[in-house]
Amino acid sequence: MFNLDYSWLADPVYQGWLIRGTLTTIELAFASSAIAFVIGLFGALALTLRIAWLDAVIELFVEVFRNTPPLLQMLFFYFTLSTVGLRMTDPATGVSVPLLSAFACALISLSLFGGALCIEAFRSGLDSLPRAVTEAARSLGYSRWQRFRRIEAPIASRICLPALTNIMTNQFKTTSQASVITVPELMYYAGQIYNDTFRTAEVMILVLFIYVSLVSLLSWGMVRIERVLAFPGYGKGA
Amino acid sequence: MNRTDALIELDQVTKSFGAFQVLKGISLAVKDGEAVCIIGPSGSGKSTILRCINGLIPINSGSIRVGTHEVHKMKTEKEMRPLRHQVSMVFQQYNLFPHRTALQNVMMAPVQVLGHDRREVEARARRLLAKVRLSEKADAYPGQLSGGQQQRVAIARALAMEPQVILFDEVTAALDPETVKEVLTAIRELVDEGLTCILVTHEMKFAREVADRVCFTDHGRIVESGPPAQIFDAPQDPRTREFLGQVL
Ligand SMILES: Nc1ncnc2c1ncn2[C@@H]1O[C@H](COP(=O)(O)OP(=O)(O)O)[C@@H](O)[C@H]1O
Ligand SMILES: [Mg+2]
Repeated sequence: MFNLDYSWLADPVYQGWLIRGTLTTIELAFASSAIAFVIGLFGALALTLRIAWLDAVIELFVEVFRNTPPLLQMLFFYFTLSTVGLRMTDPATGVSVPLLSAFACALISLSLFGGALCIEAFRSGLDSLPRAVTEAARSLGYSRWQRFRRIEAPIASRICLPALTNIMTNQFKTTSQASVITVPELMYYAGQIYNDTFRTAEVMILVLFIYVSLVSLLSWGMVRIERVLAFPGYGKGA
Repeated sequence: MNRTDALIELDQVTKSFGAFQVLKGISLAVKDGEAVCIIGPSGSGKSTILRCINGLIPINSGSIRVGTHEVHKMKTEKEMRPLRHQVSMVFQQYNLFPHRTALQNVMMAPVQVLGHDRREVEARARRLLAKVRLSEKADAYPGQLSGGQQQRVAIARALAMEPQVILFDEVTAALDPETVKEVLTAIRELVDEGLTCILVTHEMKFAREVADRVCFTDHGRIVESGPPAQIFDAPQDPRTREFLGQVL
Protein backbone atom coordinates (compact mmCIF):
# COMPACT_ATOMS: atom_id res chain seq x y z
CA MET A 1 0.00 0.00 0.00
CA PHE A 2 2.77 2.42 0.90
CA ASN A 3 4.93 3.01 -2.04
CA LEU A 4 6.79 6.04 -0.79
CA ASP A 5 8.66 8.20 -3.22
CA TYR A 6 11.03 10.76 -1.75
CA SER A 7 12.92 11.62 -4.93
CA TRP A 8 11.47 15.18 -4.82
CA LEU A 9 13.46 15.76 -1.66
CA ALA A 10 16.60 15.98 -3.76
CA ASP A 11 15.30 19.21 -5.30
CA PRO A 12 17.15 22.16 -3.66
CA VAL A 13 14.03 24.34 -4.02
CA TYR A 14 12.00 21.99 -1.82
CA GLN A 15 14.89 21.63 0.58
CA GLY A 16 15.06 25.40 0.89
CA TRP A 17 11.32 25.61 1.53
CA LEU A 18 11.45 22.98 4.24
CA ILE A 19 14.35 24.68 6.00
CA ARG A 20 12.82 28.13 5.75
CA GLY A 21 9.46 26.80 6.89
CA THR A 22 11.00 25.03 9.87
CA LEU A 23 12.91 28.14 10.90
CA THR A 24 9.78 30.28 10.66
CA THR A 25 7.92 27.74 12.78
CA ILE A 26 10.66 27.83 15.41
CA GLU A 27 10.78 31.61 15.35
CA LEU A 28 7.03 31.93 15.70
CA ALA A 29 6.84 29.36 18.50
CA PHE A 30 9.68 30.83 20.53
CA ALA A 31 8.75 34.46 20.06
CA SER A 32 5.10 33.85 20.93
CA SER A 33 6.09 31.73 23.94
CA ALA A 34 8.38 34.46 25.23
CA ILE A 35 5.66 37.09 24.95
CA ALA A 36 3.11 34.67 26.44
CA PHE A 37 5.45 34.13 29.39
CA VAL A 38 5.59 37.86 30.09
CA ILE A 39 1.82 38.22 29.70
CA GLY A 40 1.37 35.31 32.11
CA LEU A 41 3.68 36.80 34.69
CA PHE A 42 2.11 40.23 34.69
CA GLY A 43 -1.41 38.82 34.44
CA ALA A 44 -0.89 36.62 37.46
CA LEU A 45 0.76 39.48 39.36
CA ALA A 46 -2.18 41.74 38.54
CA LEU A 47 -4.56 39.10 39.88
CA THR A 48 -2.78 39.14 43.23
CA LEU A 49 -3.65 42.82 43.64
CA ARG A 50 -7.31 41.80 44.02
CA ILE A 51 -8.77 44.78 42.20
CA ALA A 52 -12.28 43.75 41.20
CA TRP A 53 -12.49 45.34 37.75
CA LEU A 54 -8.96 44.23 36.83
CA ASP A 55 -9.74 40.68 37.90
CA ALA A 56 -12.85 40.75 35.70
CA VAL A 57 -10.89 41.97 32.66
CA ILE A 58 -8.18 39.35 33.08
CA GLU A 59 -10.72 36.63 33.71
CA LEU A 60 -12.57 37.55 30.53
CA PHE A 61 -9.32 37.58 28.56
CA VAL A 62 -8.34 34.14 29.86
CA GLU A 63 -11.77 32.65 29.23
CA VAL A 64 -12.05 34.01 25.69
CA PHE A 65 -8.63 32.85 24.60
CA ARG A 66 -8.72 29.51 26.33
CA ASN A 67 -12.17 28.56 25.16
CA THR A 68 -12.16 29.54 21.50
CA PRO A 69 -10.33 27.73 18.68
CA PRO A 70 -6.86 29.21 18.10
CA LEU A 71 -7.53 29.03 14.37
CA LEU A 72 -10.51 31.31 14.81
CA GLN A 73 -8.40 33.70 16.89
CA MET A 74 -5.77 33.79 14.19
CA LEU A 75 -8.28 34.46 11.43
CA PHE A 76 -9.87 37.15 13.58
CA PHE A 77 -6.58 38.98 14.10
CA TYR A 78 -5.60 38.55 10.49
CA PHE A 79 -8.81 40.00 9.15
CA THR A 80 -9.12 42.80 11.69
CA LEU A 81 -5.48 43.84 11.89
CA SER A 82 -4.10 42.98 8.51
CA THR A 83 -6.82 42.98 5.89
CA VAL A 84 -9.51 45.31 7.10
CA GLY A 85 -7.66 47.31 9.67
CA LEU A 86 -4.40 49.13 9.70
CA ARG A 87 -3.02 49.90 6.29
CA MET A 88 -0.32 52.15 5.04
CA THR A 89 0.74 53.40 1.65
CA ASP A 90 3.98 51.96 0.40
CA PRO A 91 6.04 55.07 -0.49
CA ALA A 92 7.83 53.27 -3.33
CA THR A 93 4.87 51.84 -5.20
CA GLY A 94 2.02 53.97 -3.94
CA VAL A 95 0.03 50.80 -3.24
CA SER A 96 -1.93 50.46 -0.02
CA VAL A 97 -0.51 47.51 1.97
CA PRO A 98 -1.30 46.11 5.41
CA LEU A 99 0.74 47.64 8.22
CA LEU A 100 1.07 44.30 9.94
CA SER A 101 2.34 41.28 8.05
CA ALA A 102 0.64 37.91 8.30
CA PHE A 103 3.53 36.81 10.49
CA ALA A 104 2.94 39.71 12.88
CA CYS A 105 -0.75 38.85 13.10
CA ALA A 106 0.04 35.21 13.81
CA LEU A 107 2.57 36.27 16.45
CA ILE A 108 0.08 38.54 18.19
CA SER A 109 -2.62 35.90 18.07
CA LEU A 110 -0.41 33.08 19.36
CA SER A 111 1.10 35.28 22.07
CA LEU A 112 -2.31 36.16 23.45
CA PHE A 113 -3.48 32.55 23.24
CA GLY A 114 -0.36 31.32 25.05
CA GLY A 115 -0.55 34.28 27.43
CA ALA A 116 -3.99 33.20 28.60
CA LEU A 117 -2.65 29.73 29.34
CA CYS A 118 0.41 31.18 31.09
CA ILE A 119 -1.74 33.37 33.34
CA GLU A 120 -3.53 30.23 34.48
CA ALA A 121 -0.26 28.39 35.03
CA PHE A 122 1.37 31.21 36.99
CA ARG A 123 -1.75 31.81 39.01
CA SER A 124 -1.81 28.21 40.21
CA GLY A 125 1.93 28.40 40.84
CA LEU A 126 1.50 31.49 43.01
CA ASP A 127 -1.47 29.92 44.77
CA SER A 128 0.65 26.93 45.69
CA LEU A 129 3.27 29.14 47.37
CA PRO A 130 3.18 28.72 51.11
CA ARG A 131 1.55 31.81 52.64
CA ALA A 132 4.33 31.69 55.21
CA VAL A 133 6.94 32.60 52.59
CA THR A 134 5.02 35.73 51.69
CA GLU A 135 4.59 36.66 55.34
CA ALA A 136 8.31 36.23 55.99
CA ALA A 137 9.07 38.52 53.05
CA ARG A 138 6.67 41.15 54.36
CA SER A 139 8.18 40.98 57.83
CA LEU A 140 11.60 41.65 56.27
CA GLY A 141 10.26 44.82 54.70
CA TYR A 142 9.90 43.70 51.08
CA SER A 143 7.50 45.83 49.07
CA ARG A 144 4.76 44.24 46.98
CA TRP A 145 6.78 44.43 43.77
CA GLN A 146 10.11 43.35 45.35
CA ARG A 147 8.36 40.42 46.96
CA PHE A 148 7.00 39.32 43.61
CA ARG A 149 10.30 39.83 41.78
CA ARG A 150 12.71 38.42 44.33
CA ILE A 151 10.73 35.69 46.00
CA GLU A 152 7.31 34.78 44.62
CA ALA A 153 8.07 34.78 40.89
CA PRO A 154 11.32 32.77 41.18
CA ILE A 155 9.66 30.09 43.28
CA ALA A 156 6.40 30.03 41.35
CA SER A 157 8.08 29.84 37.94
CA ARG A 158 9.99 26.77 39.05
CA ILE A 159 6.78 25.18 40.25
CA CYS A 160 5.26 26.11 36.88
CA LEU A 161 8.01 24.82 34.61
CA PRO A 162 6.26 21.54 33.67
CA ALA A 163 3.11 23.48 32.81
CA LEU A 164 5.19 25.94 30.75
CA THR A 165 6.71 23.04 28.82
CA ASN A 166 3.20 21.91 27.94
CA ILE A 167 2.25 25.41 26.86
CA MET A 168 5.34 25.73 24.63
CA THR A 169 4.64 22.34 23.05
CA ASN A 170 1.16 23.56 22.37
CA GLN A 171 2.54 26.76 20.81
CA PHE A 172 4.68 24.68 18.45
CA LYS A 173 1.68 22.69 17.32
CA THR A 174 -0.56 25.73 17.01
CA THR A 175 1.90 27.58 14.74
CA SER A 176 0.80 25.21 11.97
CA GLN A 177 -2.52 27.04 11.82
CA ALA A 178 -0.73 30.19 10.71
CA SER A 179 -0.46 28.55 7.28
CA VAL A 180 -4.14 29.40 6.84
CA ILE A 181 -3.32 33.10 6.96
CA THR A 182 -0.39 32.59 4.54
CA VAL A 183 2.44 32.71 7.06
CA PRO A 184 5.23 30.78 5.33
CA GLU A 185 5.92 28.30 8.10
CA LEU A 186 6.44 24.56 7.87
CA MET A 187 2.83 23.60 7.21
CA TYR A 188 2.46 26.27 4.56
CA TYR A 189 5.48 25.04 2.61
CA ALA A 190 4.34 21.45 3.05
CA GLY A 191 1.14 22.39 1.24
CA GLN A 192 3.14 24.06 -1.51
CA ILE A 193 5.27 20.97 -1.95
CA TYR A 194 2.45 18.46 -2.22
CA ASN A 195 0.52 20.75 -4.51
CA ASP A 196 3.58 20.64 -6.75
CA THR A 197 4.50 16.99 -6.40
CA PHE A 198 1.21 15.33 -5.42
CA ARG A 199 3.25 13.32 -2.88
CA THR A 200 0.85 14.10 -0.03
CA ALA A 201 1.63 11.09 2.18
CA GLU A 202 5.38 11.50 1.85
CA VAL A 203 5.29 15.19 2.64
CA MET A 204 3.00 14.67 5.63
CA ILE A 205 5.17 11.91 7.06
CA LEU A 206 8.25 14.10 6.76
CA VAL A 207 6.52 17.10 8.33
CA LEU A 208 5.21 14.91 11.12
CA PHE A 209 8.73 13.78 11.77
CA ILE A 210 10.00 17.37 11.86
CA TYR A 211 7.34 18.42 14.38
CA VAL A 212 8.07 15.42 16.59
CA SER A 213 11.79 16.23 16.49
CA LEU A 214 11.23 19.89 17.35
CA VAL A 215 8.95 19.11 20.27
CA SER A 216 11.24 16.36 21.57
CA LEU A 217 14.17 18.74 21.46
CA LEU A 218 12.12 21.31 23.33
CA SER A 219 11.08 18.85 26.05
CA TRP A 220 14.65 17.72 26.44
CA GLY A 221 15.80 21.32 26.80
CA MET A 222 13.08 22.15 29.31
CA VAL A 223 13.92 19.13 31.46
CA ARG A 224 17.54 20.30 31.50
CA ILE A 225 16.44 23.76 32.56
CA GLU A 226 14.24 22.26 35.28
CA ARG A 227 17.23 20.35 36.62
CA VAL A 228 19.49 23.37 36.61
CA LEU A 229 16.94 25.60 38.31
CA ALA A 230 15.72 23.00 40.78
CA PHE A 231 16.43 23.66 44.43
CA PRO A 232 16.57 20.92 47.03
CA GLY A 233 13.24 20.13 48.59
CA TYR A 234 11.15 21.37 45.66
CA GLY A 235 10.07 19.72 42.40
CA LYS A 236 12.95 18.08 40.53
CA GLY A 237 15.30 18.88 43.41
CA ALA A 238 13.31 16.83 45.92
CA MET B 1 6.61 51.46 84.46
CA ASN B 2 7.19 54.94 83.15
CA ARG B 3 5.56 55.34 79.74
CA THR B 4 8.45 57.05 77.99
CA ASP B 5 10.66 54.32 79.29
CA ALA B 6 9.07 51.66 77.13
CA LEU B 7 10.46 50.68 73.73
CA ILE B 8 7.25 48.94 72.78
CA GLU B 9 3.89 50.00 74.01
CA LEU B 10 0.48 48.50 73.25
CA ASP B 11 -2.56 50.28 74.63
CA GLN B 12 -6.03 48.72 74.58
CA VAL B 13 -5.43 46.97 71.27
CA THR B 14 -8.40 45.17 69.76
CA LYS B 15 -8.49 43.05 66.66
CA SER B 16 -11.33 41.17 65.01
CA PHE B 17 -11.39 38.72 62.13
CA GLY B 18 -14.88 39.22 60.79
CA ALA B 19 -17.25 39.01 63.73
CA PHE B 20 -14.72 37.15 65.84
CA GLN B 21 -12.81 39.36 68.26
CA VAL B 22 -9.38 37.83 68.73
CA LEU B 23 -7.78 40.61 70.82
CA LYS B 24 -10.04 42.26 73.38
CA GLY B 25 -7.93 45.12 74.68
CA ILE B 26 -4.28 44.17 74.98
CA SER B 27 -2.03 46.55 76.90
CA LEU B 28 1.61 45.75 77.21
CA ALA B 29 4.83 47.73 77.65
CA VAL B 30 8.28 46.35 76.96
CA LYS B 31 11.46 48.13 77.98
CA ASP B 32 14.61 48.25 75.93
CA GLY B 33 16.61 45.10 76.64
CA GLU B 34 13.74 43.30 78.26
CA ALA B 35 12.72 39.71 77.45
CA VAL B 36 8.99 39.14 77.74
CA CYS B 37 7.44 35.71 77.34
CA ILE B 38 3.83 35.29 76.29
CA ILE B 39 2.22 32.03 77.32
CA GLY B 40 -1.35 30.86 77.02
CA PRO B 41 -3.64 28.32 75.41
CA SER B 42 -3.69 27.83 71.67
CA GLY B 43 -6.03 30.28 69.96
CA SER B 44 -5.78 32.86 72.72
CA GLY B 45 -4.29 35.45 70.35
CA LYS B 46 -0.55 35.19 71.01
CA SER B 47 0.53 35.10 67.35
CA THR B 48 -1.91 37.85 66.55
CA ILE B 49 -0.29 40.12 69.15
CA LEU B 50 3.13 39.63 67.53
CA ARG B 51 1.75 40.17 64.01
CA CYS B 52 0.14 43.43 65.11
CA ILE B 53 3.36 44.69 66.66
CA ASN B 54 5.27 44.59 63.36
CA GLY B 55 2.27 45.68 61.33
CA LEU B 56 1.67 42.44 59.47
CA ILE B 57 -2.00 42.83 60.30
CA PRO B 58 -3.85 46.10 61.01
CA ILE B 59 -5.64 46.58 64.32
CA ASN B 60 -9.20 47.78 64.89
CA SER B 61 -8.67 50.10 67.84
CA GLY B 62 -6.12 51.09 70.44
CA SER B 63 -2.54 52.06 69.73
CA ILE B 64 0.82 50.43 69.18
CA ARG B 65 4.10 52.27 69.44
CA VAL B 66 7.53 50.82 68.72
CA GLY B 67 10.28 53.34 69.43
CA THR B 68 9.12 56.42 67.53
CA HIS B 69 6.89 54.47 65.13
CA GLU B 70 3.14 54.75 65.63
CA VAL B 71 2.29 51.39 64.10
CA HIS B 72 -1.50 51.85 64.23
CA LYS B 73 -1.22 54.94 62.04
CA MET B 74 0.77 53.25 59.27
CA LYS B 75 -1.22 52.37 56.19
CA THR B 76 1.19 51.31 53.45
CA GLU B 77 3.98 48.76 53.30
CA LYS B 78 6.30 51.60 52.43
CA GLU B 79 5.55 53.41 55.68
CA MET B 80 6.16 50.13 57.50
CA ARG B 81 9.64 49.68 56.12
CA PRO B 82 11.59 51.54 58.84
CA LEU B 83 9.50 49.63 61.40
CA ARG B 84 10.36 46.28 59.82
CA HIS B 85 14.00 47.29 59.96
CA GLN B 86 13.66 47.78 63.69
CA VAL B 87 11.49 44.74 64.43
CA SER B 88 12.36 41.28 63.11
CA MET B 89 10.24 38.19 63.41
CA VAL B 90 11.00 34.48 63.61
CA PHE B 91 8.16 32.12 62.77
CA GLN B 92 7.08 28.69 63.92
CA GLN B 93 7.52 27.19 60.44
CA TYR B 94 10.91 28.90 59.83
CA ASN B 95 9.57 30.39 56.55
CA LEU B 96 12.94 30.41 54.81
CA PHE B 97 13.04 31.13 51.09
CA PRO B 98 13.44 27.67 49.53
CA HIS B 99 15.17 28.89 46.35
CA ARG B 100 18.09 30.49 48.18
CA THR B 101 20.92 29.02 50.24
CA ALA B 102 21.25 29.61 53.96
CA LEU B 103 23.78 32.40 53.37
CA GLN B 104 21.62 34.01 50.69
CA ASN B 105 18.57 33.83 52.93
CA VAL B 106 20.45 35.80 55.56
CA MET B 107 21.85 38.32 53.06
CA MET B 108 18.81 38.97 50.88
CA ALA B 109 16.81 41.51 52.84
CA PRO B 110 19.73 43.66 54.08
CA VAL B 111 20.96 43.97 50.47
CA GLN B 112 17.64 44.12 48.62
CA VAL B 113 15.50 45.98 51.15
CA LEU B 114 17.91 48.05 53.21
CA GLY B 115 20.34 48.62 50.35
CA HIS B 116 23.39 47.80 52.45
CA ASP B 117 26.69 47.06 50.77
CA ARG B 118 26.82 43.45 49.62
CA ARG B 119 30.33 42.72 50.85
CA GLU B 120 29.65 44.19 54.24
CA VAL B 121 26.40 42.17 54.44
CA GLU B 122 28.15 38.96 53.47
CA ALA B 123 30.67 39.41 56.28
CA ARG B 124 27.78 40.10 58.65
CA ALA B 125 25.85 37.05 57.42
CA ARG B 126 28.83 34.74 57.87
CA ARG B 127 29.39 36.10 61.36
CA LEU B 128 25.74 35.47 62.23
CA LEU B 129 25.76 31.95 60.79
CA ALA B 130 28.82 31.27 62.92
CA LYS B 131 26.96 32.65 65.91
CA VAL B 132 24.13 30.14 65.42
CA ARG B 133 26.79 27.48 64.72
CA LEU B 134 25.95 26.89 61.08
CA SER B 135 29.04 28.18 59.28
CA GLU B 136 29.51 24.90 57.46
CA LYS B 137 25.91 25.01 56.16
CA ALA B 138 26.20 28.41 54.49
CA ASP B 139 25.74 26.95 51.01
CA ALA B 140 23.01 24.45 51.87
CA TYR B 141 19.45 25.03 50.69
CA PRO B 142 16.65 25.07 53.29
CA GLY B 143 15.43 21.73 51.92
CA GLN B 144 18.76 20.19 52.88
CA LEU B 145 18.63 21.38 56.49
CA SER B 146 16.92 19.89 59.53
CA GLY B 147 14.14 21.84 61.22
CA GLY B 148 16.44 23.03 63.98
CA GLN B 149 19.05 24.17 61.47
CA GLN B 150 16.45 25.99 59.39
CA GLN B 151 15.18 27.74 62.47
CA ARG B 152 18.68 28.88 63.37
CA VAL B 153 19.13 30.23 59.84
CA ALA B 154 15.84 32.08 60.33
CA ILE B 155 17.22 33.58 63.54
CA ALA B 156 20.37 34.66 61.71
CA ARG B 157 18.20 36.14 58.97
CA ALA B 158 16.23 38.13 61.55
CA LEU B 159 19.45 39.35 63.18
CA ALA B 160 20.95 40.41 59.85
CA MET B 161 18.39 43.23 59.73
CA GLU B 162 20.14 44.58 62.85
CA PRO B 163 16.83 44.96 64.64
CA GLN B 164 16.20 46.48 68.02
CA VAL B 165 13.49 43.95 68.76
CA ILE B 166 12.93 40.33 67.75
CA LEU B 167 9.55 38.64 67.96
CA PHE B 168 9.69 34.86 68.33
CA ASP B 169 6.48 32.98 67.57
CA GLU B 170 6.62 29.45 69.01
CA VAL B 171 9.88 28.90 67.21
CA THR B 172 10.48 25.49 68.75
CA ALA B 173 6.94 24.15 68.42
CA ALA B 174 7.59 22.40 65.09
CA LEU B 175 10.94 20.91 66.13
CA ASP B 176 11.75 17.50 67.47
CA PRO B 177 12.89 17.45 71.10
CA GLU B 178 16.61 16.99 70.39
CA THR B 179 16.82 20.10 68.24
CA VAL B 180 14.74 22.30 70.52
CA LYS B 181 17.73 22.80 72.77
CA GLU B 182 20.06 24.12 70.07
CA VAL B 183 17.50 26.75 69.07
CA LEU B 184 16.76 27.75 72.66
CA THR B 185 20.50 28.11 73.28
CA ALA B 186 20.77 30.51 70.36
CA ILE B 187 17.86 32.57 71.66
CA ARG B 188 19.18 32.60 75.21
CA GLU B 189 22.43 34.13 73.98
CA LEU B 190 20.51 36.95 72.32
CA VAL B 191 18.57 37.64 75.48
CA ASP B 192 21.79 37.63 77.50
CA GLU B 193 23.28 40.14 75.09
CA GLY B 194 20.40 42.46 75.90
CA LEU B 195 18.40 42.30 72.69
CA THR B 196 14.77 43.19 73.33
CA CYS B 197 12.70 40.04 72.77
CA ILE B 198 9.06 39.08 72.87
CA LEU B 199 8.74 35.32 72.88
CA VAL B 200 5.60 33.29 72.46
CA THR B 201 6.52 29.88 73.80
CA HIS B 202 5.28 26.62 75.20
CA GLU B 203 8.65 25.90 76.78
CA MET B 204 7.78 26.81 80.37
CA LYS B 205 11.17 25.95 81.76
CA PHE B 206 12.82 28.17 79.18
CA ALA B 207 10.37 31.00 79.88
CA ARG B 208 11.11 30.79 83.57
CA GLU B 209 14.84 30.98 82.94
CA VAL B 210 15.12 33.74 80.34
CA ALA B 211 12.10 35.97 80.85
CA ASP B 212 12.18 39.20 82.79
CA ARG B 213 8.41 39.08 82.68
CA VAL B 214 5.76 36.53 81.71
CA CYS B 215 2.32 37.37 80.35
CA PHE B 216 -0.46 34.83 80.39
CA THR B 217 -3.10 35.31 77.68
CA ASP B 218 -6.53 33.76 77.48
CA HIS B 219 -9.36 34.56 75.06
CA GLY B 220 -7.73 37.71 73.71
CA ARG B 221 -6.81 39.25 77.06
CA ILE B 222 -3.67 39.40 79.14
CA VAL B 223 -5.05 37.81 82.25
CA GLU B 224 -1.98 38.07 84.39
CA SER B 225 1.60 39.24 84.05
CA GLY B 226 4.62 39.47 86.29
CA PRO B 227 8.08 38.08 86.99
CA PRO B 228 8.38 34.37 86.14
CA ALA B 229 8.69 33.35 89.78
CA GLN B 230 5.34 34.97 90.52
CA ILE B 231 3.48 33.59 87.49
CA PHE B 232 4.81 30.06 87.77
CA ASP B 233 4.97 29.68 91.54
CA ALA B 234 2.13 31.86 92.76
CA PRO B 235 -0.35 32.47 89.93
CA GLN B 236 -3.21 34.70 91.07
CA ASP B 237 -5.86 34.04 88.43
CA PRO B 238 -7.69 30.70 88.35
CA ARG B 239 -7.29 30.54 84.54
CA THR B 240 -3.51 30.82 84.87
CA ARG B 241 -3.53 28.12 87.50
CA GLU B 242 -5.63 25.85 85.32
CA PHE B 243 -3.40 26.38 82.29
CA LEU B 244 -0.19 25.82 84.22
CA GLY B 245 -1.73 22.75 85.82
CA GLN B 246 -2.17 21.32 82.33
CA VAL B 247 1.23 22.14 80.87
CA LEU B 248 3.60 21.75 83.78
N1 LIG C 1 -6.13 35.52 59.38
C1 LIG C 1 -7.07 35.05 60.23
N2 LIG C 1 -8.37 34.99 59.84
C2 LIG C 1 -9.33 34.54 60.68
N3 LIG C 1 -9.09 34.10 61.92
C3 LIG C 1 -7.83 34.13 62.38
C4 LIG C 1 -6.76 34.60 61.55
N4 LIG C 1 -5.60 34.50 62.26
C5 LIG C 1 -5.94 34.01 63.47
N5 LIG C 1 -7.27 33.77 63.54
C6 LIG C 1 -8.00 33.27 64.72
O1 LIG C 1 -7.65 34.05 65.81
C7 LIG C 1 -7.52 33.27 66.97
C8 LIG C 1 -6.20 33.53 67.62
O2 LIG C 1 -5.18 33.13 66.76
P1 LIG C 1 -3.66 33.18 67.14
O3 LIG C 1 -3.27 34.59 67.44
O4 LIG C 1 -2.91 32.51 66.06
O5 LIG C 1 -3.63 32.33 68.47
P2 LIG C 1 -2.39 31.64 69.19
O6 LIG C 1 -1.13 32.09 68.52
O7 LIG C 1 -2.50 32.09 70.61
O8 LIG C 1 -2.60 30.17 69.07
C9 LIG C 1 -7.69 31.83 66.55
O9 LIG C 1 -8.99 31.42 66.90
C10 LIG C 1 -7.55 31.87 65.07
O10 LIG C 1 -8.36 30.90 64.48
MG1 LIG D 1 0.24 30.97 67.40
